[in-house]
Amino acid sequence: MSIDQPAHRVVPRSRREFLLKAGGGFGALALASLTAKNVLAREASAVADPLAARPPHFATRAKSVIWCFLDGGPSHIDLFDPKPELSRLDGQPLPDSFGRPVTAMGRTAYTPLLASRRQFRQHGQSGTWVSDWYPEIARHVDEMAVIRSCYADGLNHVGSVCQMNTGSILGGRPCLGSWAIYGLGSENADLPGFVVLADYPEEPPGGNRNWGTGFMPATFQGTKFREGESPILYLAPPAAGGQRQRAKLDFIQQLNRRHRQERAEDDQLEARIAAYELAYRMQAAAPEAVDLKGETDQTLRLYGIDQKETQRMGRNCLLARRLVERGVRFVQIYSGSGSKWDAHSNVEGNHARYCRESDLPIAGLLADLKQRGLLESTLVIWGGEFGRTPMSESGNGRDHNPYGFTMWLAGGGVRGGATYGATDALGLYAVENKVHVHDLHATILHLLGLDHEALTFPHNGQDERLTMVSGRVVEAILS
Amino acid sequence: MRLVAPIQSRVNNRQGGCLVAVAAALLTCSPAVANEKAVSPHSASHAPAFHNGDWPFRPPQRPTPPDVADASSVINPIDNFILARLEGAGLRPSPLADKLTLLRRVSFDLVGLPPTVEQQAAFLADDRPDAYERLVDRLLASPSYGERAAQFWLDLVRYAETDGFKADDLRPNAHKYRNFVIRALNDDLPYDRFLAWQLAGDELDPQNPAALAATGYVRLYPDEYNAANLEQRRQEILDDITATTSLAFLGLTMGCAQCHDHKFDDIAQADYFRLQAFFTPVVARDDVPDASPEEILEYRRRLADWEAATAEVRAEIDRLLEPKRQQQREYGLGKFRQEIRDAVAVPAGERSAYQEQIARMALKQAEPKDKDLVAKLSAEEKQRYEELQAKLKEFDPVRPSPLPTLMAAGDVGRTAPVTWLLAGGDWHKPADEVIPGFPAFLGEASAEVGSPTTGSESTGRRSALARWLARADHPLTSRVIVNRLWQQHFGVGIVATANDFGAQGELPTHPELLDWLAVELVDRGWSLKHLHRLMVTSATYRQTSRVDLSPAEAAAAKERDPQNRLLWHARRRRLEGEAIRDAMLAVSGELNPAMYGPSVRPELPAGMSRSSAWPPDERPADRQRRSVYVLAKRNLHYPLFEAFDQPDMHHSCPRRAETTTAPQSLVLLNGELAIAEARRWADRLLSARHHDLLAVISGAYREAFARAAGDDEIEAATQFIHQQIRTSGESTPEAATAAAVADFCHALLNANEFLYVD
Repeated sequence: MSIDQPAHRVVPRSRREFLLKAGGGFGALALASLTAKNVLAREASAVADPLAARPPHFATRAKSVIWCFLDGGPSHIDLFDPKPELSRLDGQPLPDSFGRPVTAMGRTAYTPLLASRRQFRQHGQSGTWVSDWYPEIARHVDEMAVIRSCYADGLNHVGSVCQMNTGSILGGRPCLGSWAIYGLGSENADLPGFVVLADYPEEPPGGNRNWGTGFMPATFQGTKFREGESPILYLAPPAAGGQRQRAKLDFIQQLNRRHRQERAEDDQLEARIAAYELAYRMQAAAPEAVDLKGETDQTLRLYGIDQKETQRMGRNCLLARRLVERGVRFVQIYSGSGSKWDAHSNVEGNHARYCRESDLPIAGLLADLKQRGLLESTLVIWGGEFGRTPMSESGNGRDHNPYGFTMWLAGGGVRGGATYGATDALGLYAVENKVHVHDLHATILHLLGLDHEALTFPHNGQDERLTMVSGRVVEAILS
Repeated sequence: MRLVAPIQSRVNNRQGGCLVAVAAALLTCSPAVANEKAVSPHSASHAPAFHNGDWPFRPPQRPTPPDVADASSVINPIDNFILARLEGAGLRPSPLADKLTLLRRVSFDLVGLPPTVEQQAAFLADDRPDAYERLVDRLLASPSYGERAAQFWLDLVRYAETDGFKADDLRPNAHKYRNFVIRALNDDLPYDRFLAWQLAGDELDPQNPAALAATGYVRLYPDEYNAANLEQRRQEILDDITATTSLAFLGLTMGCAQCHDHKFDDIAQADYFRLQAFFTPVVARDDVPDASPEEILEYRRRLADWEAATAEVRAEIDRLLEPKRQQQREYGLGKFRQEIRDAVAVPAGERSAYQEQIARMALKQAEPKDKDLVAKLSAEEKQRYEELQAKLKEFDPVRPSPLPTLMAAGDVGRTAPVTWLLAGGDWHKPADEVIPGFPAFLGEASAEVGSPTTGSESTGRRSALARWLARADHPLTSRVIVNRLWQQHFGVGIVATANDFGAQGELPTHPELLDWLAVELVDRGWSLKHLHRLMVTSATYRQTSRVDLSPAEAAAAKERDPQNRLLWHARRRRLEGEAIRDAMLAVSGELNPAMYGPSVRPELPAGMSRSSAWPPDERPADRQRRSVYVLAKRNLHYPLFEAFDQPDMHHSCPRRAETTTAPQSLVLLNGELAIAEARRWADRLLSARHHDLLAVISGAYREAFARAAGDDEIEAATQFIHQQIRTSGESTPEAATAAAVADFCHALLNANEFLYVD
């Protein structure tokens, strides 16, 4: 056999079938999919698509999630959990009856208590307590279920952010968003099903592990949107050498179709042909999704995009709404990305700033979702990796507190106006109706129609699940 | 006192083996999701002769290869076993693949690179009957073999060169472990020694730098050196080592027994902690010299001279710094609980083994650096300090440069700390004391840990474990490793769940073959290369991947064995991200074949996370080394590798996922690497082929796909290139042609035929 002899002959037996499946080329298919809401694109793929939308385990209201993650740990006792007793004991040591908690900084087990300087007031029909740092969010308390008795296992940021996302303080497990799209797929084939947004260039501690899939296939990982018109890595062709992409793509598919003809039995080859089509569609769909030009001034104001302090978080909140509108399953927004809420000193100055940055945008998001009828089908979550100690640090700051802190949920399936659980008199430990991170995860999955005990993935001999070997749905906050 | 937040009760309410319908459908219907369990178990009619209740926990015996009806296609005994099952199922093997297909396949499998045009021509021209066997020998002898084979091992031991967690600090000597693995595989270090050195090289061969580098295995756990809760951290590290050792060497999921007796296997919680007991004395060692005994001796002699000459100066420096040092150390220790501070307060020689371990972890954080102390000196002291430093510097000519060091492991001393069986696996609930021992279900619970050799500062526990694992009659060691080699060449192991030979794992498709291979490995001195050679020279391996049977036969085969678990044809596979990058560099001609050394840092796209992105190597050639040398950073994976299913480096990965996603297409379409290599490749082709387009096209096909281009393909490529020239917008015809050919080359790098191996 000579090296110059053609090794394979062309057998054009399935060409017609192929054209039916794959469309006449990128352009034709892309156009079709954009206009026909992805139906054609879905049908074009001969292979089962792991991200195809799937029904939940049971009927439910929430279809998507927007999770505002206050990175660094917001102070529950200055925001949602007023403690008159703490004001009374201001400046005194932690009473012996509380024991000596292990704290991240060690010394803060012995430092004086620090009263909150905030004014708390009851809001809405429900009379939910909110401090004066969150005046805008306070208008929406009747949509919110406030859980004051959360607790977690980690002491430091990386382990705690990791646990809040994946259930474990040790890395290597899939995060909540990945479990959600593993269970439910996504409604939009042209956008990632799980998107992460951050307001600052610094990453949350642990970086992409927090939206990674651990032992699950990468298909289910979160995509962190980058700033600017091209939100996904390598979405845009580079300036040099990336021109005339369309013709190149058509040529690649021509090569792939010929290759496939002689390997008709292999669905993977077809799947990759479809993946190139999806990549091409994404190049149009993702910039469209992040382009705010079509939004009215009124909407931009609603989210605070017209103001310097609120424009970062506001933009991300608006993006989240646009993504959810387009069928994206899970959106996570980091507020103060890079542990900015971590007020070891000067909690007043620190939180005043980050509350100001997040209050109007999150309130705007709730209002906007509501007015568009999307709040019914969208679960909004607010919280950080832990709360903060009643003991002071550096005189006017607070240390990490994983023993008791507040999170709230709003929207799809949540009992609005509820306040659930309690911390002790100082806000140090959760003591009543305690809700562990696994319970919170079980509840969020439940609100999405997924049974946390049944949603499993086999790995190294175990059927792994998000809640590991525990987790209990907090029924009291369900509507 | 209150410790960390109460840990959730560890009741095991796991839904045993229950996959929700959604997930099950997803895993079985979508070939896009490769997972250990993705391959559905073979049907009952294919069930092996014995139940795995006894298997694989008895030593393997060499079975006689079965007779087959049609022995004409048998090349070696592997084929007897495969054919017998096929004949039993009424199936026939597929014809052999053509020479070039086979060449490309075996090249990627053994060295991870495409065959060059010269290699293709030489192989085609070789008419000797054993031309293929000679090719295999050449590939196995190539240094590239170790670079390819190492990746499987590195996945298995969750190799990375950074700590993970938040800081993700670099482990500056971790690459020496990787280099050990590459060298060991290239030298065909017998597998029994390969594993023993990794577990206990410091005890077994303490003079041998290679054996010491191998103990880097014990150090590969993710770590947070600045954790406040050191006792918890220590226990997490031990759990990580125990689980990984069980998965990687034993193919058992003993990590499941951390909190409770194993639900499905006969693994007691005590077995888990007995295994852990081999590692409880472990300490991190970053001071072990990477040098021969002679070099160390010479260094110590010269150092002693220098120390003697500078004793006075150094003593005065110490006197200046010591008060500050104590202050700073005290401050640093302030973050720890009283028990930990107490352990540090005990003088070094008097600490218990456990106190010593904890104290070392605490001091690693609290011990200040000299430069920080200098900043705290008064102006007067500082001046004196600088004078002394200048004086010290005068002795630099006789000061030996420090020896390079390894990332190694050792024991805390001759006495081990107590190993506790922890209730619910919870670090602060010690229940019973346990001693080192082997899993009871393997027949012998007690371990013989000899007394440590005189002069050794080690308990001898890890070498006892290593000796047990390396026994010729060990029921699991040889089976587990030959199964992994099988998976490398046939896509799926004989036991599909390569890290789980227990009851939850898949039953073997060919248990007798597995045993035959296991015994063959041991009989041939644990030579992995011998096993590779056997596998890739078998007729089974040489089959075509096309379903090249008559329609009726193909339909029957698909019905009886839709997953091809009986191997009636070869399995097409997609290249890993690492191999895709290597192949792109190889065809462009830019691959830098330099071996070993510290890791390299290729360019990253703009806009990566500021905190974790690496600056690229200054010399372009360094950025073009093979992928196995690219920095393995837990918190920042090289984007191309990440898109193509690189494992997360936190858990042992026995088999990579093989997903098909849009981000993979984007990284190849728009990523800087593919575009740059396409451009270089095009330029090289154009100049080598004197700008003859037809020659350029057929040359590119051969280099990328290891075959000649068909006439229709040359025509299509020509059309495409002319079209791109017309629309190029370049100012000169030469530039327009170069850009168009680069587009053509870029398209080939994106083609399925480039990314998949038939």
